[in-house]
Amino acid sequence: MKLKVTKATLLEGLHIVQNVVGVRSTLPILSNVLLTAEENKLWLTTTDLEVSVRCGIEADIEQDGMSTLPARRLSSIVRELPDATINVEIDKNDVASVECGSSYFKIIGLSNEEFPPVSNPEEKHCYNMDQGVFREMLKKTAYAASSDETRFVLNGVLLSFREGKLTMVATDGRRLALVESEVEFPDEAEGDMILPTKAVSELLHVLGEEGDLKIYAKENQIVFEFDDVLLASKLIDGTYPNYRQVIPTQCEERVTVEREVLLTALKRASLLTTDKSSATKLTFNDNQLVVVTTSPDVGEARETLAIKYTGKEITVAFNAEYMMDPLRNLSNDEIFVELTDDLSPGVIKCDIPFLYVLMPMRIS
Amino acid sequence: MLMTYLHVDMDAFFASVEQHDHPELRGQPVVIGAQPDQRGVVAAASYEAREYGIHSAMPSREAGERCPHAVFLPPNGKRYGEVSRQIMGIFERFTPYVEQLSVDEAFLDVTGAQRLLGTGREIAAKIKDTVKGETGLTASVGVAVNKFLAKLASDMDKPDGLTVVPNSKQEIITFLAPLPVGRIWGVGKVTQNLLESKGIRTVGDLQETPERLLSALVGKHSARHLHRLAFGEDEREIETEREEKSISKEHTFLHDTSDREAVRHTLLGLVDDVGRRLRESGKLAGVARLKIRWKGFKTITRQRTLNHPCRDDFSLREIATELFMTEELVKPVRLIGFGVSGLTDRASRQLGLFDDISDRSKREQLSRAVDDIRREHGSKSIGRGSGASQ
Repeated sequence: MKLKVTKATLLEGLHIVQNVVGVRSTLPILSNVLLTAEENKLWLTTTDLEVSVRCGIEADIEQDGMSTLPARRLSSIVRELPDATINVEIDKNDVASVECGSSYFKIIGLSNEEFPPVSNPEEKHCYNMDQGVFREMLKKTAYAASSDETRFVLNGVLLSFREGKLTMVATDGRRLALVESEVEFPDEAEGDMILPTKAVSELLHVLGEEGDLKIYAKENQIVFEFDDVLLASKLIDGTYPNYRQVIPTQCEERVTVEREVLLTALKRASLLTTDKSSATKLTFNDNQLVVVTTSPDVGEARETLAIKYTGKEITVAFNAEYMMDPLRNLSNDEIFVELTDDLSPGVIKCDIPFLYVLMPMRIS
Repeated sequence: MLMTYLHVDMDAFFASVEQHDHPELRGQPVVIGAQPDQRGVVAAASYEAREYGIHSAMPSREAGERCPHAVFLPPNGKRYGEVSRQIMGIFERFTPYVEQLSVDEAFLDVTGAQRLLGTGREIAAKIKDTVKGETGLTASVGVAVNKFLAKLASDMDKPDGLTVVPNSKQEIITFLAPLPVGRIWGVGKVTQNLLESKGIRTVGDLQETPERLLSALVGKHSARHLHRLAFGEDEREIETEREEKSISKEHTFLHDTSDREAVRHTLLGLVDDVGRRLRESGKLAGVARLKIRWKGFKTITRQRTLNHPCRDDFSLREIATELFMTEELVKPVRLIGFGVSGLTDRASRQLGLFDDISDRSKREQLSRAVDDIRREHGSKSIGRGSGASQ
């Protein structure tokens, strides 16, 4: 295998694929990036057996071939090379010569035979979306997913393609984020799948602001194709809990709040939360919202916000971090907070198809 | 940092509760305990009764002779427990560091709370007011830099007292000097007699006695202890139940056994015991742990973090069974143990979206009902219909 590639192009490609490579892999081959040179493209592939990413970059291919090189090491070498064309040649023993300007590196790789096979898009169901839209949807939900491994069905984001739209849901059992977007697909392509957190963070890392995105799904596998990138992931095998039943259908009070103002107040109030007392109290009363955190050993923080509110007085305690998460990931100026009482879930909405349900904390 | 401790002691607690609940008893000598014509002793006496020299632990017959018109009432433990919980609840509004000593007294560490709620004296006054306002009962409070001094102080001005021990070393020494040595924590009748035989009658005398002379008298260790206390030094911290890190119970088999069912049966018995103690502590368990010691002393532990902290026997049995079932009995079992840790309070508990709260509270209620029955009628009085099968 022999090729010429510019430093910038190779670095960009490696940047896309190298995240998947674990710092400590059990299998040495999983630390390597698979290089495939064919038809003026150099394909870079990495995998951790759950998620794999393949990315094609422009290269001047002088001789086709396949091999693997240690991904992170290659990436750090390329980063330090001068801005010029890099000559790469890998012999049949998987030893690479990397030349750029006056620099020369010999890197010992592993045979591509050892590299696990990476799945290709298979046409069972295909959904067409915009990269930017999909990315935004992930961003607005992913933070609510659970990292508790005993609740593995919640360790990811639910993609529910039904009734002409994609509903994306994430929950850790304490709060739930939901966002919807219209997508065209045939009836037989209706279905639910749970995308693991690792794939979600890879997508957030590599998806662009705009451009076509094709999503191929079959039983336990999903493949995302966009630009010259292919991201494949296993799906979480399990049934997602019936999230519809935890979304309140009615509320007693609805308050409009400026997102930034509430976020800032919560940020300040949360400075006084501790492991022992993580609750922040919100009191809505008479055109005023008072945000209070009290920790016996630390002190008290109080923020008073002017709001438009003439409903009944409600005091409810939330984990401030959980309340801030959606506010950080929305861009709307105004949000709506729906409340009933101190033990009923609070709901955050805004003027897009977004919904956040948050269970309060019981304080005595 | 200078610590601030409160010792809150309810005044004639049992008698005061009765006088509060039965206004007709107010101002009268009230004695809680056995009737004067029966065998038995006085559990508590109102201040009016104390004027006749009646005190707790005195035979009721003698109390009846000293004050024939006193009202003798049997103790109503349930009611005292209720009021006690109410009072402890009030304390916890002021600080999480409450060490309950008995039904009617507690130490409170208000070192941190001072920054929010004012000085030790101010907090003590607020606590007294709140207790009086909500229960109608009076308390005496001692405020000091350590528990020893706080407890001494609460007794200085009973009833309805509030005594603040000064902070400075010299003032503490002066404060302690006139007190009899018997007031020092750990000095019982025997030690007191021993000390008095050498002319050490007051704490002041003790302060002036060199430690080596004391050593000859009571031993090196006790001498050190007495001397420190005589100068008002006490570094014990508040021992809240909150700081109780875990609850566990183990059983060693008489003969090592490979009978899986027998081991499981024993395990479930341990689980119920841990569950009962957990419920008594008022905590919820966050982590469950199984311990198995094989023949030959090799020990394994398996633990699981619970999705939802719980304290009912059903959930605990489920987890214990799960943990046990995944273990192969590679050798005969010598010991089996079960424990819970990661104990949390209900206070500021994050509620869950998918929790079936009603179901969980029912499980807990049922477990508590079983506790009550066992307490009343013995541990074998009630069990599962299926034996220990689940």
